[in-house]
Amino acid sequence: MAVRTPGLSGVLLPAVRDAASLHQALDLGYRQVLVERGSLLAMVGPLAISARQGIAIFVNLDGVEGLAPDSAALAFVATDLGLSGVLSVKPHVLKDASRFRLRTIQRIHALDSTGLETGLRTLASPAPQALAIAPALAIPHVVATVRAVTSVPLWGTGYVTTSEQAQRILAAGAEVVSSSRREVWQDFQT
Amino acid sequence: MAVRSSQSPVRPLAADRSVSRLLEAFERVPVAATIRRAEDLPQALASPVPAIFFLRAPAFHLGPLVWAVQARGKMAFVHIDLIAGLGKDRAGVAFLAREIGVNGIVSSHGNLIAAAKADRVIAVQRLLLHDDLGLPSALTAIERAQPDIVEVLPGVIFPEIADLLRGRVAAPMIVGGLITDAGQRAAILGAGARAITTGSVALWQ
Repeated sequence: MAVRTPGLSGVLLPAVRDAASLHQALDLGYRQVLVERGSLLAMVGPLAISARQGIAIFVNLDGVEGLAPDSAALAFVATDLGLSGVLSVKPHVLKDASRFRLRTIQRIHALDSTGLETGLRTLASPAPQALAIAPALAIPHVVATVRAVTSVPLWGTGYVTTSEQAQRILAAGAEVVSSSRREVWQDFQT
Repeated sequence: MAVRSSQSPVRPLAADRSVSRLLEAFERVPVAATIRRAEDLPQALASPVPAIFFLRAPAFHLGPLVWAVQARGKMAFVHIDLIAGLGKDRAGVAFLAREIGVNGIVSSHGNLIAAAKADRVIAVQRLLLHDDLGLPSALTAIERAQPDIVEVLPGVIFPEIADLLRGRVAAPMIVGGLITDAGQRAAILGAGARAITTGSVALWQ
């Protein structure tokens, strides 16, 4: 059986940026979200409540505003908010996060071959639970390069604007695909 | 290596920094070669590409490489964010513009684009497409810096996302990153890019 990221309950991960988009995803029945952008501090209430209700919440530490990439922020995310995991391109941030029992997902920028190779050369230790390839649309073009280096589960995040694209990225080998588009969320819940 | 041969290139009196001449040249050959290793330079010099982009070159040994490009009638661009040894600041930009005499500078950072424009070199700002929720702020940064040219990455997704950028980027767009075959090149140019940037030698022809 393929390795899966712990704590996830489906292949689509709604990407949210504020309390309104968080509630839209929850209203559609999603039990997992990715806070991709926006101010985390402006949505602490809804996030903490959702986490207590068992929603798996992941935060892109490179994208959200309001948090420093340090231990104090990770302690707040893990202990005060009860979130499930964090994403970052920075291996040292993920290493810190693993001490707080957060799931760690290493972001890899698939922008050009130089950057991709650099990302893959600096995998975090302990090994991340998944790699998030950004933008997800590049996954079909880079999956062979990534798989030559590691077998950890792949997430795709960024620029997925249609359900057809999401399906294509899953078919290319991603375990999870994230989208900020409500139309895509709706398609995957029906 | 060619640049160490007996006719080692000398710095030209003036570098051509005309954006319109670069775009005209791209109409004939819509490809810029990206160089990661000096060994690839001779093939780029011998190819018909009108521009060569240096990634990861050592800053303080860059002069002869840039002048060899200019001696072939091509334009030399340096990616300042990736150049070892050089400050990512105004002084670094001024070194490339005045001491080396590059035709253009590439950066993701608006403050370096402003510095490049102040030093009258062609300013190429990178637009990195990793998350769509970050696109509005990336476009705002470009609007503020007003680069001469925008380089969109990764190129391989450009045909799928070109509609998201249409009308929202004022500068001419070139497109690079993860481009490996002629079919991708055709699709990217068909979607409105003025040129591709690529390290794939086969696409330089």
